Amino acid sequence: MESGILSSLILLPLLGSLLILILPPAYKNFYKWISLITQILLLINVLTILGLFDRENPEYQLLEHSEWIRLSLGSKSILSIDYILGVDGLSIALVLLSSIIFLIASVSSFSIVYRPKTYFCLLLLLTATVLGCFLAVDFFLFFVFFEFMLLPMYFLIGIWGGENRAFASLKFFIYTFAGSVLILVVMICLAISNQDEFFTSEYARLVYSFDFRTLKDTNNLIADSILSIEQPVSIFGLPARDFMFLLLLIGFGIKMPIVPFHTWLPDAHVEAPTPVSVILAGILLKIGGYGMLRVAYDILPDASEKYAGLVGALGLISILYGALNALNQTDLKKMIAYSSVSHMGFVFIGIGAINSVGFNGAVFQMFSHGILSAMLFLIAGVLYERTHNRNIAAFQGLARKMPLYTLLVAVAFFGSLGLPSLSGFIGEFLTLHGGFQSAHLPKWIPALGIVGIVLSAIYFLLTFQRMFFGEFNTLEEYRTLLKDLNKTELFMLGSLAIITLLTGVWPNLIIRYINASLTEILR
Amino acid sequence: MSVLEEIFHSSTRILPEWVLFTGILATCMGLALTKAESKLPFYLFSLTGLLYVYSLLISAEQITAKGETLYQGLLFLDKKALLIKQLSGVAVLIFTVHARLFNYRYAGEIYLLVLFVLFGISILSMTTHFLTAYVALELISLASYALVASEKTKENFEAGIKYLIFGATASALMLFGISLFYGLTHRLDFGTPEFALALASQAPVPVQIISFMVLGGFLFKVAAAPFHHWVPDVYESTSTPVISFLSFAPKAAGFIFIARWVSADFANLNYLLALIIAFSLVVGNFAAIWQDNFKRMLGYSGIAQSGFLLTGLITGNNSDIYGTLFYLTAYLPMTMGSFFLADFIHSKTRSYAIPAMAGMGKKYPLLGINAVVILISMVGLPPTVGFVAKLLVFSSLADAASVTPGYLLYGLLVFGLFNAAISLYYYLRPVYLMIVRDPAEKNSGFSYNVLVTLALSYFSFTLLYLFIKADLISDWVFGVF
Repeated sequence: MESGILSSLILLPLLGSLLILILPPAYKNFYKWISLITQILLLINVLTILGLFDRENPEYQLLEHSEWIRLSLGSKSILSIDYILGVDGLSIALVLLSSIIFLIASVSSFSIVYRPKTYFCLLLLLTATVLGCFLAVDFFLFFVFFEFMLLPMYFLIGIWGGENRAFASLKFFIYTFAGSVLILVVMICLAISNQDEFFTSEYARLVYSFDFRTLKDTNNLIADSILSIEQPVSIFGLPARDFMFLLLLIGFGIKMPIVPFHTWLPDAHVEAPTPVSVILAGILLKIGGYGMLRVAYDILPDASEKYAGLVGALGLISILYGALNALNQTDLKKMIAYSSVSHMGFVFIGIGAINSVGFNGAVFQMFSHGILSAMLFLIAGVLYERTHNRNIAAFQGLARKMPLYTLLVAVAFFGSLGLPSLSGFIGEFLTLHGGFQSAHLPKWIPALGIVGIVLSAIYFLLTFQRMFFGEFNTLEEYRTLLKDLNKTELFMLGSLAIITLLTGVWPNLIIRYINASLTEILR
Repeated sequence: MSVLEEIFHSSTRILPEWVLFTGILATCMGLALTKAESKLPFYLFSLTGLLYVYSLLISAEQITAKGETLYQGLLFLDKKALLIKQLSGVAVLIFTVHARLFNYRYAGEIYLLVLFVLFGISILSMTTHFLTAYVALELISLASYALVASEKTKENFEAGIKYLIFGATASALMLFGISLFYGLTHRLDFGTPEFALALASQAPVPVQIISFMVLGGFLFKVAAAPFHHWVPDVYESTSTPVISFLSFAPKAAGFIFIARWVSADFANLNYLLALIIAFSLVVGNFAAIWQDNFKRMLGYSGIAQSGFLLTGLITGNNSDIYGTLFYLTAYLPMTMGSFFLADFIHSKTRSYAIPAMAGMGKKYPLLGINAVVILISMVGLPPTVGFVAKLLVFSSLADAASVTPGYLLYGLLVFGLFNAAISLYYYLRPVYLMIVRDPAEKNSGFSYNVLVTLALSYFSFTLLYLFIKADLISDWVFGVF
């Protein structure tokens, strides 16, 4: 029995967006409320799904399946594209994360006054595409959401961003579009190498399928196709399956972002308004990790074992490079952006480990980083909103003037640098633990990863010390502007802090949902 | 069947062409017998267009997918030809609507010339015979030269002369190629097995070179590199409805001819095509990036789009030229929609310059949304039909790559998709300016022309709807196989 609850996660924000679009400007004060109520309804639906979810079952659950497009590809074959939604352990963690972050971002967007109609429309559109991306079980559907996500994001940065927004938004768009083009190559090659046996005999024509479950099953591989295992086709001297894996690595690596492809991230973050930064760091980066697990590791397990070392090494480079860059920043937001690069590196080490601990760690780290980075960008936003200055050196001794703010900043900073009892520690610990246990990674990779933790402790503590300790000392005009958190800010930062603490003390809260499905990927 | 009977039988099969021919004669008479400002030629033209489309629908029944030869092999009528004729017929109707909605006051001759182009397309789409193809191509070209130069400004003459010179060179090259082929095979009808058989014993390299010469004439028509030099000036200076029509219909006919030429299967033209595609993509994309005139930008982007369209002609075991036909069908609302968009903006700003578009989308939200849909469809982003079209041509390329030794086709696959990424920049620039920037003058008048807005929205609605219901085009186009 299909309940339609997964479709509701996509339809609700679309409906909200449509409602805002047709409401005349006279009601412009309602836009933000419509957006907030939609996000609350979404969260309720997601919690319902959590309740319905069977934790022991590693397969896709609550499946919704309907036929969509049958495209003839010449007279001998058909591309079969279906609308299939489902959740498994991997996606449910990220769906939960998205609905939390979007709710927070929606609250944070209350301060948006410039062109509210367009803003909230785009925000809800973005919500629908992100959730669709996590729920899709059909590669085509996944890709459609994956690509369409870029457009609202482009406008969100391009219209409401800082001074250099035109450049930053275009750079973001072109980088990630180039990445998704590589994923498109893989999608095409995967599809034309796998047949849906049932429909092939039904239509008496070769039916290519995009269903993740068909693509995963090596029995469906067409014997003489590009991706056949027995007779490897070589592309530029590499077996085709390896080549596809590398394309995915770059494609999702850009999204993630992993070091040589990360340069769009600092620009985009610095220019984006606070709620958009929160979404970008909190959710969009996770789609890279999600895609790696869902597509690369699930469908091309042989190639992913071969390149585990490369993935781990890229993760390590990101950790160290991101951390060293963060050490050097004078702009608070830029520092946080580089710390994101550094922390997403742990996800790659966990993924590269290819064992249960590593995968669990990677997904947990994604969840934890989603919450923590959202906090960090909100923190930067609080200061920027009051003073329009993000320079770390411009503030000193804020602890005396803003005690509540200081407390929550402490939670976020210590959570990020990996203090036990907060969620960041669990993620980093599990990924590195997986790395040490792994049969595929050399031991020096996780060992050097620990250096990354030390570096992150240095830059977070230094920043904390500079900004919050000592005498209250800042420019004269800021003194009156710097007030402690108001209620909305307290709500946003407080609830995120509680989640960090909760998952840090009781990581099983997340792990028990994801474990079964991640263990299934390993088979 | 005696020859005379065959000719008579053939004549019953080309009803749409008879309608068109009668229409041309009637419009001619109308022009000759009325004053210059008379509306009669326009009415005759519209009537001919409508009757042509109607007769295409009527004659669809008697045409088979496998096709039949008419007039002793001079014509070859199949469903593919019908598809191209249908699309071109629709393009003429869109041209009419476009010209009326924006109050273009054309002299009657323009309508006559458009009908000539349509007649040429009609013939070109159903031939596998060099002689007919050459005559049809020249008919299209000559009428197009006159159309381009018809506005009597300096820019138009320059564009017309450029068009004429490059066109003449391309057709001379093509004639030379045809005569060489005739020398090798003693046949003019390349669709027959005998033609391929006669070439089988020839050295492959000369065959490739001569094929390229013959293709030249058609690559010129579809605006593919290296026969693209006429494009920017012609696109910029020709009046918008005319170039909107010329950017689609002759291209469609050119592609169907190239498709027939490739599938005549006398030699493997994949490598030749791959080079042409790569060249077209580079030239089109990198030149389009620097353009400040929207129509000129569309011209260069048309060169790149030709590259994508040609991609579908490289086929492997499990695919055929279906990708290109699908792309062509999707290309009709895309390209004609973007020229309609250009005129919509022109009607507000009196300029085709891209910087002048600043703030238009902010002022006219409906215009902004439509511009986003039409232009991202040109890039090939979901959720528009442009994405499905790109997916299909690249799927057939991937299929071809998997059965072809060497890496050239894989390279082309990655290269082509990267070019799609590059095209993002110049298609998004107008959108960015329209939606993000503030308009130049603040408090000027604000008014929607309801009909024009509806027509524009209809284009983008089509692009979105055909993504969700891609089966519609798919089934229609698949009917030709």
